Amino acid sequence: MENFPNGTLIGQIINFLILLFLLKKFAFKPLGKLLSDRQQLIADSITTAEQERQQAEQIKAEYEAEMQRTREMAQEIIQKATKAGEEQAAEIIESAKNEAKRLKDAALVEIKHEKEKAVAEMRDEAATLAILVAGKIINQQIDEDIQHKMVKDFVKEAGELLC
Amino acid sequence: MLSLHEVESRLDLWGSVLHLWEKDSHGKEVMWNLAIGGMNMEFSPKTMIMTWLVMILIVVFVIIATRNMNLRRPHGTQNVLEMMFEGIRGQVSQTMDPQRGSSLLSIVLTFFIFILISNLLGLIPTFTSPTANPNTAFALALITFILIWFYGIRYKGIGYFKHWFKPYFFFLPLNLIEEFVKPLTLACRLFGNIYAGEILICTWLGMFYGWYQLTGGFIASVIWLGFSIFVGFIQAYVFTVLSINYIATAIAEHE
Repeated sequence: MENFPNGTLIGQIINFLILLFLLKKFAFKPLGKLLSDRQQLIADSITTAEQERQQAEQIKAEYEAEMQRTREMAQEIIQKATKAGEEQAAEIIESAKNEAKRLKDAALVEIKHEKEKAVAEMRDEAATLAILVAGKIINQQIDEDIQHKMVKDFVKEAGELLC
Repeated sequence: MLSLHEVESRLDLWGSVLHLWEKDSHGKEVMWNLAIGGMNMEFSPKTMIMTWLVMILIVVFVIIATRNMNLRRPHGTQNVLEMMFEGIRGQVSQTMDPQRGSSLLSIVLTFFIFILISNLLGLIPTFTSPTANPNTAFALALITFILIWFYGIRYKGIGYFKHWFKPYFFFLPLNLIEEFVKPLTLACRLFGNIYAGEILICTWLGMFYGWYQLTGGFIASVIWLGFSIFVGFIQAYVFTVLSINYIATAIAEHE
Protein backbone atom coordinates (compact mmCIF):
# COMPACT_ATOMS: atom_id res chain seq x y z
CA MET A 1 0.00 0.00 0.00
CA GLU A 2 3.03 2.26 -0.18
CA ASN A 3 1.75 3.70 -3.45
CA PHE A 4 -1.61 4.75 -2.11
CA PRO A 5 -2.94 7.29 -2.53
CA ASN A 6 -1.07 8.86 -5.38
CA GLY A 7 -1.73 10.46 -8.74
CA THR A 8 -2.97 7.17 -10.11
CA LEU A 9 -6.24 7.86 -8.31
CA ILE A 10 -6.74 11.10 -10.22
CA GLY A 11 -5.59 9.35 -13.38
CA GLN A 12 -8.15 6.61 -12.92
CA ILE A 13 -10.95 9.13 -12.42
CA ILE A 14 -9.92 10.83 -15.66
CA ASN A 15 -9.67 7.46 -17.39
CA PHE A 16 -13.13 6.59 -16.16
CA LEU A 17 -14.57 9.86 -17.41
CA ILE A 18 -12.98 9.32 -20.83
CA LEU A 19 -14.39 5.81 -20.97
CA LEU A 20 -17.80 7.08 -19.87
CA PHE A 21 -17.77 9.68 -22.63
CA LEU A 22 -16.72 7.14 -25.28
CA LEU A 23 -19.25 4.52 -24.19
CA LYS A 24 -22.05 7.03 -23.96
CA LYS A 25 -21.29 8.30 -27.44
CA PHE A 26 -20.60 5.03 -29.20
CA ALA A 27 -22.58 2.46 -27.28
CA PHE A 28 -25.29 3.63 -24.91
CA LYS A 29 -26.93 6.27 -27.08
CA PRO A 30 -27.37 4.03 -30.15
CA LEU A 31 -28.20 1.05 -27.97
CA GLY A 32 -30.80 2.96 -25.99
CA LYS A 33 -32.29 4.21 -29.23
CA LEU A 34 -32.31 0.68 -30.62
CA LEU A 35 -34.03 -0.69 -27.54
CA SER A 36 -36.67 2.03 -27.51
CA ASP A 37 -37.17 1.47 -31.26
CA ARG A 38 -37.64 -2.21 -30.58
CA GLN A 39 -40.08 -1.45 -27.79
CA GLN A 40 -41.96 0.81 -30.19
CA LEU A 41 -41.92 -1.91 -32.84
CA ILE A 42 -43.31 -4.46 -30.40
CA ALA A 43 -45.96 -2.03 -29.17
CA ASP A 44 -46.92 -1.26 -32.78
CA SER A 45 -47.05 -4.95 -33.62
CA ILE A 46 -49.33 -5.59 -30.68
CA THR A 47 -51.58 -2.69 -31.62
CA THR A 48 -51.74 -3.87 -35.23
CA ALA A 49 -52.48 -7.40 -34.14
CA GLU A 50 -55.21 -6.12 -31.85
CA GLN A 51 -56.76 -4.10 -34.66
CA GLU A 52 -56.58 -6.99 -37.06
CA ARG A 53 -58.17 -9.28 -34.52
CA GLN A 54 -61.00 -6.79 -34.04
CA GLN A 55 -61.47 -6.55 -37.78
CA ALA A 56 -61.52 -10.31 -38.08
CA GLU A 57 -64.10 -10.52 -35.32
CA GLN A 58 -66.23 -7.93 -37.04
CA ILE A 59 -66.02 -9.80 -40.33
CA LYS A 60 -66.87 -13.01 -38.56
CA ALA A 61 -69.89 -11.40 -36.90
CA GLU A 62 -71.05 -10.04 -40.25
CA TYR A 63 -70.60 -13.40 -41.87
CA GLU A 64 -72.52 -15.12 -39.12
CA ALA A 65 -75.34 -12.61 -39.38
CA GLU A 66 -75.42 -13.19 -43.14
CA MET A 67 -75.52 -16.94 -42.57
CA GLN A 68 -78.33 -16.54 -40.10
CA ARG A 69 -80.33 -14.43 -42.54
CA THR A 70 -79.78 -16.92 -45.34
CA ARG A 71 -80.83 -19.76 -43.10
CA GLU A 72 -83.99 -17.91 -42.11
CA MET A 73 -84.77 -17.18 -45.73
CA ALA A 74 -84.30 -20.83 -46.66
CA GLN A 75 -86.54 -21.84 -43.80
CA GLU A 76 -89.19 -19.42 -44.98
CA ILE A 77 -89.00 -20.73 -48.53
CA ILE A 78 -89.32 -24.30 -47.34
CA GLN A 79 -92.29 -23.39 -45.18
CA LYS A 80 -93.98 -21.59 -48.04
CA ALA A 81 -93.39 -24.52 -50.34
CA THR A 82 -94.72 -26.97 -47.78
CA LYS A 83 -97.80 -24.87 -47.24
CA ALA A 84 -98.39 -24.48 -50.96
CA GLY A 85 -97.96 -28.22 -51.44
CA GLU A 86 -100.40 -28.98 -48.66
CA GLU A 87 -102.90 -26.54 -50.10
CA GLN A 88 -102.49 -28.04 -53.52
CA ALA A 89 -102.91 -31.56 -52.15
CA ALA A 90 -106.07 -30.51 -50.33
CA GLU A 91 -107.34 -28.90 -53.50
CA ILE A 92 -106.62 -32.03 -55.54
CA ILE A 93 -108.35 -34.22 -52.97
CA GLU A 94 -111.31 -31.85 -52.87
CA SER A 95 -111.68 -31.82 -56.63
CA ALA A 96 -111.32 -35.61 -56.74
CA LYS A 97 -114.07 -35.92 -54.15
CA ASN A 98 -116.28 -33.57 -56.18
CA GLU A 99 -115.58 -35.52 -59.32
CA ALA A 100 -116.42 -38.77 -57.57
CA LYS A 101 -119.62 -37.28 -56.25
CA ARG A 102 -120.51 -36.02 -59.68
CA LEU A 103 -119.85 -39.39 -61.23
CA LYS A 104 -121.86 -41.10 -58.53
CA ASP A 105 -124.80 -38.75 -59.02
CA ALA A 106 -124.63 -39.24 -62.75
CA ALA A 107 -124.62 -42.99 -62.24
CA LEU A 108 -127.61 -42.76 -59.91
CA VAL A 109 -129.48 -40.66 -62.39
CA GLU A 110 -128.62 -43.18 -65.11
CA ILE A 111 -129.77 -46.06 -62.92
CA LYS A 112 -133.01 -44.33 -62.12
CA HIS A 113 -133.53 -43.54 -65.74
CA GLU A 114 -132.83 -47.13 -66.73
CA LYS A 115 -135.15 -48.40 -64.01
CA GLU A 116 -137.94 -46.16 -65.21
CA LYS A 117 -137.31 -47.31 -68.70
CA ALA A 118 -137.44 -50.94 -67.59
CA VAL A 119 -140.64 -50.42 -65.64
CA ALA A 120 -142.24 -48.80 -68.66
CA GLU A 121 -141.13 -51.66 -70.86
CA MET A 122 -142.50 -54.11 -68.30
CA ARG A 123 -145.79 -52.31 -68.26
CA ASP A 124 -145.97 -52.63 -71.95
CA GLU A 125 -145.13 -56.28 -71.68
CA ALA A 126 -147.69 -56.78 -68.91
CA ALA A 127 -150.34 -55.05 -70.98
CA THR A 128 -149.50 -57.24 -73.95
CA LEU A 129 -149.67 -60.28 -71.73
CA ALA A 130 -152.93 -59.17 -70.26
CA ILE A 131 -154.34 -58.69 -73.71
CA LEU A 132 -152.96 -62.10 -74.64
CA VAL A 133 -154.46 -63.66 -71.56
CA ALA A 134 -157.73 -61.92 -72.12
CA GLY A 135 -157.76 -63.19 -75.67
CA LYS A 136 -157.15 -66.70 -74.45
CA ILE A 137 -159.93 -66.37 -71.92
CA ILE A 138 -162.27 -65.17 -74.48
CA ASN A 139 -161.29 -67.80 -77.02
CA GLN A 140 -161.58 -70.78 -74.71
CA GLN A 141 -164.26 -72.26 -72.59
CA ILE A 142 -162.69 -72.23 -69.32
CA ASP A 143 -163.79 -73.30 -65.96
CA GLU A 144 -163.13 -71.65 -62.79
CA ASP A 145 -160.21 -73.84 -61.97
CA ILE A 146 -158.49 -73.21 -65.21
CA GLN A 147 -159.19 -69.55 -64.90
CA HIS A 148 -157.74 -69.49 -61.46
CA LYS A 149 -154.74 -71.39 -62.56
CA MET A 150 -154.19 -69.13 -65.49
CA VAL A 151 -154.33 -66.05 -63.33
CA LYS A 152 -151.91 -67.60 -60.94
CA ASP A 153 -149.53 -68.43 -63.74
CA PHE A 154 -149.85 -64.98 -65.08
CA VAL A 155 -149.10 -63.45 -61.77
CA LYS A 156 -146.14 -65.71 -61.31
CA GLU A 157 -144.91 -64.90 -64.78
CA ALA A 158 -145.35 -61.26 -64.17
CA GLY A 159 -143.59 -61.53 -60.86
CA GLU A 160 -140.60 -63.23 -62.45
CA LEU A 161 -140.47 -60.61 -65.07
CA LEU A 162 -140.64 -57.88 -62.55
CA CYS A 163 -137.98 -59.13 -60.29
CA MET B 1 8.51 -23.37 -4.87
CA LEU B 2 8.98 -19.76 -5.83
CA SER B 3 8.23 -16.81 -3.63
CA LEU B 4 5.53 -14.39 -4.64
CA HIS B 5 8.10 -11.81 -5.50
CA GLU B 6 9.97 -14.16 -7.84
CA VAL B 7 6.77 -15.18 -9.64
CA GLU B 8 5.85 -11.54 -10.10
CA SER B 9 9.21 -10.63 -11.54
CA ARG B 10 9.16 -13.63 -13.89
CA LEU B 11 5.67 -12.74 -15.07
CA ASP B 12 6.70 -9.14 -15.68
CA LEU B 13 6.81 -9.61 -19.44
CA TRP B 14 5.63 -6.11 -20.31
CA GLY B 15 8.03 -4.42 -17.92
CA SER B 16 11.20 -6.42 -18.28
CA VAL B 17 10.97 -7.39 -21.95
CA LEU B 18 8.99 -4.61 -23.58
CA HIS B 19 10.07 -1.95 -21.03
CA LEU B 20 6.65 -0.38 -20.75
CA TRP B 21 7.66 0.27 -17.15
CA GLU B 22 10.90 -0.03 -15.24
CA LYS B 23 11.80 -1.41 -11.85
CA ASP B 24 14.30 0.01 -9.46
CA SER B 25 17.00 -1.96 -7.70
CA HIS B 26 14.57 -3.08 -4.98
CA GLY B 27 12.16 -4.52 -7.54
CA LYS B 28 9.74 -1.68 -6.96
CA GLU B 29 7.83 -0.05 -9.75
CA VAL B 30 9.33 3.23 -10.96
CA MET B 31 6.57 5.81 -10.94
CA TRP B 32 5.81 8.27 -13.65
CA ASN B 33 6.25 11.75 -12.27
CA LEU B 34 4.13 14.53 -13.56
CA ALA B 35 4.07 18.05 -12.25
CA ILE B 36 0.65 19.58 -12.71
CA GLY B 37 0.11 23.10 -11.44
CA GLY B 38 3.11 22.95 -9.17
CA MET B 39 1.94 19.65 -7.69
CA ASN B 40 4.13 16.65 -8.26
CA MET B 41 2.03 13.61 -8.92
CA GLU B 42 3.07 10.01 -9.21
CA PHE B 43 1.37 7.60 -11.52
CA SER B 44 1.69 3.84 -11.44
CA PRO B 45 2.63 2.99 -15.03
CA LYS B 46 1.50 -0.62 -14.70
CA THR B 47 -1.97 0.31 -13.53
CA MET B 48 -2.33 3.12 -16.04
CA ILE B 49 -1.25 0.97 -18.98
CA MET B 50 -3.52 -1.88 -17.90
CA THR B 51 -6.40 0.59 -17.54
CA TRP B 52 -5.80 1.90 -21.03
CA LEU B 53 -5.72 -1.67 -22.29
CA VAL B 54 -9.04 -2.32 -20.58
CA MET B 55 -10.47 0.85 -22.10
CA ILE B 56 -9.28 -0.17 -25.56
CA LEU B 57 -10.79 -3.63 -25.14
CA ILE B 58 -14.11 -2.18 -24.03
CA VAL B 59 -14.23 0.35 -26.84
CA VAL B 60 -13.38 -2.35 -29.41
CA PHE B 61 -16.04 -4.58 -27.89
CA VAL B 62 -18.76 -1.93 -28.01
CA ILE B 63 -17.80 -0.90 -31.53
CA ILE B 64 -18.14 -4.52 -32.66
CA ALA B 65 -21.37 -4.87 -30.69
CA THR B 66 -22.99 -1.69 -31.98
CA ARG B 67 -21.81 -2.08 -35.57
CA ASN B 68 -24.66 -3.29 -37.80
CA MET B 69 -27.06 -3.39 -34.90
CA ASN B 70 -30.13 -5.35 -35.80
CA LEU B 71 -33.51 -4.30 -34.49
CA ARG B 72 -35.21 -7.62 -35.03
CA ARG B 73 -32.46 -10.19 -34.72
CA PRO B 74 -29.55 -9.15 -32.47
CA HIS B 75 -26.24 -10.87 -33.22
CA GLY B 76 -23.76 -12.27 -30.68
CA THR B 77 -21.93 -9.29 -29.20
CA GLN B 78 -24.98 -7.08 -29.55
CA ASN B 79 -26.85 -9.59 -27.41
CA VAL B 80 -24.22 -9.42 -24.69
CA LEU B 81 -24.28 -5.63 -24.60
CA GLU B 82 -28.07 -5.56 -24.65
CA MET B 83 -28.18 -8.03 -21.80
CA MET B 84 -25.88 -5.87 -19.65
CA PHE B 85 -27.76 -2.73 -20.63
CA GLU B 86 -31.16 -4.15 -19.82
CA GLY B 87 -29.97 -5.85 -16.65
CA ILE B 88 -28.49 -2.65 -15.20
CA ARG B 89 -31.40 -0.58 -16.48
CA GLY B 90 -33.74 -2.97 -14.70
CA GLN B 91 -31.77 -2.51 -11.49
CA VAL B 92 -31.90 1.27 -11.84
CA SER B 93 -35.61 1.44 -12.62
CA GLN B 94 -36.39 -0.95 -9.76
CA THR B 95 -34.69 1.17 -7.16
CA MET B 96 -35.56 4.66 -8.35
CA ASP B 97 -37.78 6.68 -10.60
CA PRO B 98 -36.72 5.70 -14.16
CA GLN B 99 -36.88 9.34 -15.22
CA ARG B 100 -34.23 10.27 -12.66
CA GLY B 101 -32.33 7.05 -13.25
CA SER B 102 -31.89 7.59 -16.97
CA SER B 103 -29.07 10.09 -16.44
CA LEU B 104 -27.41 7.71 -14.00
CA LEU B 105 -27.69 4.68 -16.24
CA SER B 106 -24.66 5.46 -18.43
CA ILE B 107 -22.44 5.94 -15.40
CA VAL B 108 -23.39 2.76 -13.57
CA LEU B 109 -23.27 0.81 -16.80
CA THR B 110 -19.74 2.07 -17.38
CA PHE B 111 -18.95 1.05 -13.80
CA PHE B 112 -20.13 -2.46 -14.49
CA ILE B 113 -18.39 -2.97 -17.82
CA PHE B 114 -15.16 -1.31 -16.68
CA ILE B 115 -14.90 -3.25 -13.42
CA LEU B 116 -15.88 -6.50 -15.09
CA ILE B 117 -13.27 -6.30 -17.83
CA SER B 118 -10.67 -5.03 -15.33
CA ASN B 119 -11.30 -7.98 -13.03
CA LEU B 120 -11.13 -10.48 -15.87
CA LEU B 121 -7.96 -8.99 -17.35
CA GLY B 122 -5.97 -9.96 -14.27
CA LEU B 123 -6.73 -13.62 -14.87
CA ILE B 124 -4.60 -13.63 -18.00
CA PRO B 125 -0.97 -14.33 -17.10
CA THR B 126 1.39 -11.30 -17.27
CA PHE B 127 -1.58 -8.91 -17.06
CA THR B 128 -2.85 -7.37 -13.83
CA SER B 129 -6.27 -6.06 -12.96
CA PRO B 130 -6.41 -2.28 -12.67
CA THR B 131 -8.88 -2.90 -9.84
CA ALA B 132 -6.17 -4.77 -7.89
CA ASN B 133 -4.63 -1.38 -7.30
CA PRO B 134 -6.26 0.53 -4.41
CA ASN B 135 -6.04 3.77 -6.37
CA THR B 136 -8.47 2.44 -8.98
CA ALA B 137 -10.90 1.05 -6.43
CA PHE B 138 -10.87 4.27 -4.45
CA ALA B 139 -11.19 6.36 -7.60
CA LEU B 140 -14.34 4.47 -8.53
CA ALA B 141 -15.71 4.69 -4.99
CA LEU B 142 -14.96 8.41 -4.98
CA ILE B 143 -17.05 8.78 -8.12
CA THR B 144 -19.92 6.99 -6.37
CA PHE B 145 -19.47 9.23 -3.33
CA ILE B 146 -19.61 12.35 -5.51
CA LEU B 147 -22.64 10.98 -7.33
CA ILE B 148 -24.49 10.34 -4.06
CA TRP B 149 -24.01 13.96 -3.04
CA PHE B 150 -24.64 15.29 -6.53
CA TYR B 151 -27.93 13.46 -6.91
CA GLY B 152 -28.96 14.12 -3.32
CA ILE B 153 -28.45 17.86 -3.68
CA ARG B 154 -29.88 17.92 -7.20
CA TYR B 155 -33.20 16.43 -6.12
CA LYS B 156 -33.46 17.58 -2.50
CA GLY B 157 -31.42 20.76 -2.47
CA ILE B 158 -29.65 21.56 0.74
CA GLY B 159 -32.32 19.52 2.49
CA TYR B 160 -30.34 16.47 1.51
CA PHE B 161 -28.08 16.98 4.52
CA LYS B 162 -31.06 16.85 6.84
CA HIS B 163 -30.82 13.08 6.88
CA TRP B 164 -27.67 13.39 8.97
CA PHE B 165 -29.85 14.49 11.86
CA LYS B 166 -32.46 11.78 11.47
CA PRO B 167 -34.09 10.38 13.45
CA TYR B 168 -32.61 12.53 16.25
CA PHE B 169 -29.92 15.16 16.33
CA PHE B 170 -27.51 13.03 18.36
CA PHE B 171 -27.42 10.43 15.57
CA LEU B 172 -25.16 12.85 13.66
CA PRO B 173 -21.87 11.01 14.36
CA LEU B 174 -23.39 7.67 13.33
CA ASN B 175 -24.86 9.14 10.18
CA LEU B 176 -21.58 10.84 9.30
CA ILE B 177 -19.70 7.58 9.74
CA GLU B 178 -22.26 5.82 7.56
CA GLU B 179 -21.95 8.48 4.88
CA PHE B 180 -18.23 7.93 4.52
CA VAL B 181 -18.15 4.21 5.24
CA LYS B 182 -20.40 3.51 2.28
CA PRO B 183 -17.83 4.43 -0.41
CA LEU B 184 -15.00 3.13 1.76
CA THR B 185 -16.52 -0.34 1.90
CA LEU B 186 -17.20 -0.24 -1.81
CA ALA B 187 -13.55 0.43 -2.53
CA CYS B 188 -12.15 -1.99 0.04
CA ARG B 189 -14.43 -4.79 -1.05
CA LEU B 190 -13.46 -4.46 -4.68
CA PHE B 191 -9.77 -3.95 -4.07
CA GLY B 192 -9.55 -6.71 -1.47
CA ASN B 193 -11.31 -9.32 -3.56
CA ILE B 194 -9.38 -8.68 -6.74
CA TYR B 195 -6.00 -8.11 -5.13
CA ALA B 196 -6.34 -11.27 -3.04
CA GLY B 197 -7.34 -13.15 -6.18
CA GLU B 198 -4.22 -12.02 -7.98
CA ILE B 199 -1.97 -12.84 -5.05
CA LEU B 200 -3.48 -16.30 -4.91
CA ILE B 201 -2.99 -16.83 -8.64
CA CYS B 202 0.68 -15.88 -8.29
CA THR B 203 1.01 -18.16 -5.28
CA TRP B 204 -0.37 -21.13 -7.17
CA LEU B 205 1.90 -20.32 -10.11
CA GLY B 206 4.86 -20.34 -7.72
CA MET B 207 3.97 -23.89 -6.75
CA PHE B 208 4.46 -25.13 -10.32
CA TYR B 209 7.74 -26.70 -9.24
CA GLY B 210 8.56 -30.32 -8.57
CA TRP B 211 5.88 -32.35 -6.91
CA TYR B 212 3.49 -29.44 -6.41
CA GLN B 213 2.59 -29.98 -10.02
CA LEU B 214 1.10 -33.34 -9.13
CA THR B 215 -0.36 -32.54 -5.76
CA GLY B 216 -2.36 -29.49 -6.32
CA GLY B 217 -0.57 -26.41 -7.52
CA PHE B 218 -1.93 -26.87 -11.00
CA ILE B 219 -5.37 -28.19 -10.07
CA ALA B 220 -5.87 -25.54 -7.42
CA SER B 221 -4.76 -22.89 -9.87
CA VAL B 222 -7.28 -24.03 -12.49
CA ILE B 223 -10.09 -24.16 -9.93
CA TRP B 224 -9.11 -20.76 -8.58
CA LEU B 225 -9.06 -19.23 -12.08
CA GLY B 226 -12.57 -20.51 -12.70
CA PHE B 227 -13.71 -19.16 -9.37
CA SER B 228 -12.02 -15.84 -10.10
CA ILE B 229 -14.14 -15.40 -13.22
CA PHE B 230 -17.17 -15.78 -10.98
CA VAL B 231 -15.71 -13.40 -8.40
CA GLY B 232 -14.94 -10.87 -11.13
CA PHE B 233 -18.58 -10.86 -12.23
CA ILE B 234 -19.91 -10.77 -8.69
CA GLN B 235 -17.68 -7.88 -7.64
CA ALA B 236 -18.54 -5.84 -10.72
CA TYR B 237 -22.22 -6.51 -10.09
CA VAL B 238 -22.06 -5.79 -6.37
CA PHE B 239 -20.20 -2.53 -6.88
CA THR B 240 -22.71 -1.41 -9.50
CA VAL B 241 -25.82 -2.44 -7.60
CA LEU B 242 -24.62 -0.95 -4.32
CA SER B 243 -23.76 2.31 -6.07
CA ILE B 244 -27.26 2.39 -7.55
CA ASN B 245 -28.78 1.66 -4.16
CA TYR B 246 -26.79 4.32 -2.34
CA ILE B 247 -27.77 6.93 -4.90
CA ALA B 248 -31.40 5.75 -4.86
CA THR B 249 -31.44 6.03 -1.07
CA ALA B 250 -30.03 9.54 -1.30
CA ILE B 251 -32.76 10.77 -3.63
CA ALA B 252 -35.62 8.72 -2.20
CA GLU B 253 -38.54 10.75 -0.86
CA HIS B 254 -38.98 9.86 2.78
CA GLU B 255 -42.25 10.15 4.66
